[in-house]
Amino acid sequence: MKSFRKLFRLERTAADVNRSIDDELAFHFEQTIQDLIATGMTPEAARAEADRRFGDRRTAEQRMAYLDRQRIGSDRRAAWWAAIAQDAKYAVRGLRMRPAFAATIIITLGLGIGANAAMFGIVDRLLFRPPAYLKNPGRTHRVFFARTFDGKERFSENTTYKRVLEIDSLTTSFARTAAYFVSEVAIGSGVESRERPVFGAGARFFEFFDAPPVLGRYFGRSEDSLPIGAPVAVLSYAFWQGEYGGRRDVINETIKVGTETFTIIGVAPPGLGVEFATKPVLLIIPITRMASVLFGPDGVPLYYNSHSYGWVSLIAEREEGVSVETASSDLTNAFRRSYAAQVAESPGTTLASIAKPRALAAPIHKDRGPNPRADSQVAKWLEGVALVVLLIACANVANLLLARAVQRRREIAVRLALGVNRGRLIAQLLTESILLAGLGGLTGLAIAQWGGAALRAAFLPEADWSANIIDPRTIVFTLVISMIAGIISGLAPALYSGRGDVSGALKSGAREGTLHKSRTRTTLLIMQGALSVILLVGAGLFVRSLLNVRSLHMGFDVEQLLAVTVDMRGTTLPLEQRGELRRRLLARAKELPAVQNAARALTIPFYMTISGDVRIAGVDTSARWLREVTRQAGSQEYFETTGTRIVRGRGFDASDVKGGALSIVVSEALAKAAWPGKDALGQCVRMGSDTNPCRTVVGIAENVMLGSLREPETYHYYLPIDQYLTGNSGSLFVRVRGRGASQVESVRRGLQQIMPGTSYVNVVPLSDRVAPETKSWRLGATMFVIFGALALGLAAIGLYSVIAYGVTQRQHELGVRVALGAQSQQILSLILRQGMVLAFAGVSIGTLIAISGGKWIKPLLYNVSPTDPLVFSGVIGVLVLTALAACIVPARRAASVDPNVALRSD
Amino acid sequence: MRDDLDLFQGTLDLLILKSLIWGERHGYAVARWIADTTKEDLQVEEGALYTALHRLHKRKWVTADWGVSDNNRKAKFYSLTPLGRKQLRTQVDTWERYARAVSRVIQATA
Repeated sequence: MKSFRKLFRLERTAADVNRSIDDELAFHFEQTIQDLIATGMTPEAARAEADRRFGDRRTAEQRMAYLDRQRIGSDRRAAWWAAIAQDAKYAVRGLRMRPAFAATIIITLGLGIGANAAMFGIVDRLLFRPPAYLKNPGRTHRVFFARTFDGKERFSENTTYKRVLEIDSLTTSFARTAAYFVSEVAIGSGVESRERPVFGAGARFFEFFDAPPVLGRYFGRSEDSLPIGAPVAVLSYAFWQGEYGGRRDVINETIKVGTETFTIIGVAPPGLGVEFATKPVLLIIPITRMASVLFGPDGVPLYYNSHSYGWVSLIAEREEGVSVETASSDLTNAFRRSYAAQVAESPGTTLASIAKPRALAAPIHKDRGPNPRADSQVAKWLEGVALVVLLIACANVANLLLARAVQRRREIAVRLALGVNRGRLIAQLLTESILLAGLGGLTGLAIAQWGGAALRAAFLPEADWSANIIDPRTIVFTLVISMIAGIISGLAPALYSGRGDVSGALKSGAREGTLHKSRTRTTLLIMQGALSVILLVGAGLFVRSLLNVRSLHMGFDVEQLLAVTVDMRGTTLPLEQRGELRRRLLARAKELPAVQNAARALTIPFYMTISGDVRIAGVDTSARWLREVTRQAGSQEYFETTGTRIVRGRGFDASDVKGGALSIVVSEALAKAAWPGKDALGQCVRMGSDTNPCRTVVGIAENVMLGSLREPETYHYYLPIDQYLTGNSGSLFVRVRGRGASQVESVRRGLQQIMPGTSYVNVVPLSDRVAPETKSWRLGATMFVIFGALALGLAAIGLYSVIAYGVTQRQHELGVRVALGAQSQQILSLILRQGMVLAFAGVSIGTLIAISGGKWIKPLLYNVSPTDPLVFSGVIGVLVLTALAACIVPARRAASVDPNVALRSD
Repeated sequence: MRDDLDLFQGTLDLLILKSLIWGERHGYAVARWIADTTKEDLQVEEGALYTALHRLHKRKWVTADWGVSDNNRKAKFYSLTPLGRKQLRTQVDTWERYARAVSRVIQATA
């Protein structure tokens, strides 16, 4: 009986299920009726009795069908998992048999995935991840203020505290707003005190976040009041951990901030507000108290009564149901009314009809707003570049797997002949590549963890260092990208194996069936070459930009200069002694051994500028120029010290003293704009108002860059510092022998010796002030070069392995050629030609793409055309040489084929 | 015929598992065996019996296979799995303890 069992198969589908139940019950009824008839019942009575005994047949059938379907479903899932487990086991066994092969692939993919994981962490923070703890990221905005200068609309986040108050009272679209500002302030007391970043925030700032204090409390609105808020401070988590060791009894301790003593009232959770600072902050204090720390007693009435101090930024949370457009126009209306009041208050202000004031509720991510940082643009590009590197890695892996698939043709044919399902075979091969990619992903995470720290320090200096680089979002991203990489690199080889011609493969020898395989592999190689060209062109363009920026003359020397600022820190000196201190500092600086020259100055480029209103007879400055005029003041050594060249006339000399003839030096651009076609020397310039005395132009200095490397034509002028009203304050420029950065400490110590009381000097190399400006090019150049070299290396390995593999496979044919009289020279060129054709195809395609895509990267470059011929010819040269190097080894081997050996094998 | 005794929840499973202990049976044979053995004291509705068989199949306590009956008809045969055997042991044990406890209560004299 049992032997008949297999005649009937068990159900698989819904239709099978129903049929099977019908069959089962049909047998049951037939049997019941038959037995009942045998006891003497009539057929009708027997049928009725059978129905009675069974009960409700429809319901029973439905329940049985339901149970069967569930059983089949769970069986199928179990089978599926078992198949996966089996595939994985098979794949692991296969890889363990070839550890070198597996390691090559895992490292290749690991580099590609690691580059992506590292860049993703950066780009995610810059553009996608909302600030930590923020309650309503979608409805929270940075507020930008736009004015039109020079025919161009410029956006700024900074505004006056008075403007913030006005906007608060004039808008209705916002649930809450808060002003904030980050500044370096001297923290601590005694020799330990240093200038550290402090976050000033409106009391409502904390209401934007769903983040109660770790300890103590935040300050409230009564402590953030006009004119001066309470001296209370909330510690940042990192500062609390680092400086106070996480002690819970810090509350009510005091801390010195600037000249004032603050009481610690709480500790913020880790990372609160980091997205709004440019450096990790130590403290959060009321913004109205920060005003007094920064501006002193003289500035306090001004900061909220006038538009003299533009400093704070504003965040605002839209009311639910208010659109972004409505919010922006509400802001614009408020800004316009506030601006009109400002114009009425100070007549020098550019008229609203020209400045066209406008405000914008911009996204909370700084880099999605109107002023994205160049760094973030570069980061976006680099994420794209990382994807390209991964693509190249995938192509390499696909090539390796394909080569192995060709080797395994016979094995696979045997399995197909034994009845293995093709779908299962493909699934199994894909499992192998996904497993490899998974291991590659782990390697990638390790690489990202290791390399990511450096990247993050470069792109996100404000980030909280205690936070881990590898966060859940990065892990998910890495997982997804690893899966995709596994499928991409495994698909072609798997499909190739799956469609194998069984009988052909079984009949042929190992050396056959290798020539027709090459179209996919050729395409992959050409693609790799093309992508490498694109990346290397990017690298070349960034390197050229960086070199241009480095060799740029900003109108002053950067490397040799130190900027010295003085902080009195509560030590008060009579007015005349303050000037005397500056003169003593200057004299002291000149005595120091490392110092070449020193000069007093009012402002420091890329750190602070002061705008200065000038009046020139016959020129309507406010309407015609529409460009900011900036003011510098310097002592007579100024031009020799800074290296700013005097183009015509003279710099300052001993005659430019207080009470002497009033003089002024103007920048070339200013001279050209003020006296077009005329000689600027000897002209009269008045400061501020037309009734002030004439200053005679004694010299014309070259143009300087003060705040942006992209705007060289600044209108700038210089006054002798002794003839300048506030000549009692100001900074010092010190020119040292050698690099400024190496002399900071010796100069600081030398100068500190003569500082009275608690006051101190800050010495900063000018290159530190300029460095942030050149950062995007440094990052771009470094990262593009790293990624480009990675891509080139991968492509070279790919080319090498394909050519070398081809030579091994063609040994028989090459042997025949040699036997028939081919010279080794001919064999060499045969193989080389094969590789170089591929290389040239890749280079051509890559070059075309790079040329046509160049316009997208142009805004990130500096004085380099995106089609720079030097870069392109260099890249093509590097690629061709690399391709040659990759081909020469296998070609040599081919040329030395011994026909006897080659022909006897196989 | 006396009043029908209602089956306690799970008792039907126990009966079915027990019926299969001597080897595989089709549904009709299971129904007959239960009826014969209980002398029809327990009224087992056959629709519920089949439903129960399919449920036990889903739980992997029994397996099912098509075969040919004694009179050469195509029929579905059920047999115990090792898991089903274990279940039977547990359920018999539970049932006996239950029955002993109940009868002790009923026979109590003070």
